[in-house]
Amino acid sequence: MKTDDLISALAADSVAEPPLTHGLALRLGLALAACIISVGMVLGFRTDLGSAVLAPLSALRFVLTLGLFAVGLRMMLVVARPEGADLLRYTPLTAIAVLAGAAVVWALTTTPPGGVPMAVQGKTMVWCLTMIPLLSVLPVTVLLLVLRRGATSRPRLAGAMAGLAGSAGAAATYALHCTEDSPLFYVTWYGLAMAVVTLAAAWIGGRVLR
Amino acid sequence: MTEDHDDWAQLLRAGKGGDARAYGAFLRKVTPVIRGIVRNRGRSLGEATCEDIVQEVLLAVHLKRHTWLEEAPVRPWLYAITRNKVVDAFRARGRRIDMPIEDFSDHLAADPVADPTEAADMRRMIGLLDHRSAEVVRRIGIEGCSVAETGRHLMMTEGAVRVALHRAFKRLAALRERHLE
Repeated sequence: MKTDDLISALAADSVAEPPLTHGLALRLGLALAACIISVGMVLGFRTDLGSAVLAPLSALRFVLTLGLFAVGLRMMLVVARPEGADLLRYTPLTAIAVLAGAAVVWALTTTPPGGVPMAVQGKTMVWCLTMIPLLSVLPVTVLLLVLRRGATSRPRLAGAMAGLAGSAGAAATYALHCTEDSPLFYVTWYGLAMAVVTLAAAWIGGRVLR
Repeated sequence: MTEDHDDWAQLLRAGKGGDARAYGAFLRKVTPVIRGIVRNRGRSLGEATCEDIVQEVLLAVHLKRHTWLEEAPVRPWLYAITRNKVVDAFRARGRRIDMPIEDFSDHLAADPVADPTEAADMRRMIGLLDHRSAEVVRRIGIEGCSVAETGRHLMMTEGAVRVALHRAFKRLAALRERHLE
């Protein structure tokens, strides 16, 4: 087939795909709503949720997870474009990491030395490490499907951003249940759960986003 | 040069808005540039294979045009797609290629290469489509029929022809990917 003939045929195809963000808010909203409902039904919301959101140390968990959700989502939408990898800015991500690090340092200095291992370990580590990845499945799938319609130049990085944003959103919904208020706990275990999901999504991205 | 690229953005914008003439003009303008890049990188592959890659790039540009943001410049977007497809094509042929994007300087890219040889891959891929889809692509592309004429010929409504054409391109891209693996 001559290239000019191909061009004529391509020009005749007027069916245009909608932009990548089309329907994203709705789908992601539904996925996160499903997470919230699961957390409420399976685990139950923490009874002191109202006051927990207002206590700085406990609220920081929502700030960190929702911050990572927003930053990860934004980075994913940039890297979903062919030229996006060159436009990525890592400063917001670094800022959140620094904030998490600062919370850990602050907790280390205020927790009595003998209490640090206990504060890190908490009582619900296994639940946390199980539930956050499970809750991530739906939002991460929604985001990977968006990336399928995109044209990333960096499949693994794009997958990782989908994993980060999706698992951070899931972690924020898990936090509606979780009563472990020490940064030593949530930075460690939320962080580990999200890292696992991010790596898995990067691997999937490398395979399905070529 | 800058004027030229504004022109691209304008044409592509109009094309995305449904102006088939502007869109065709856009594709015809960028094709020599894509061909220049591909031939420059893939000289060792021969002209026919290069043209196969050019067509692959055009198909990707077409199917992924919704990833171009109207406020963003066209050139980095187009070059990134071209680079990705060239790298894929080389990988499929068992060669590795490093293509830093800075290398796509204008004098390379804008060097128009005329008289392309006929490419073979696309025809083979079209042969793998179901009969009706293949017929739609052939009539509109090779015979230069309009959507309406094609519809009359194949006893399809215009809308059905449009959908069939779009699906055919998506299918071609998918076949291409599988073929490359």
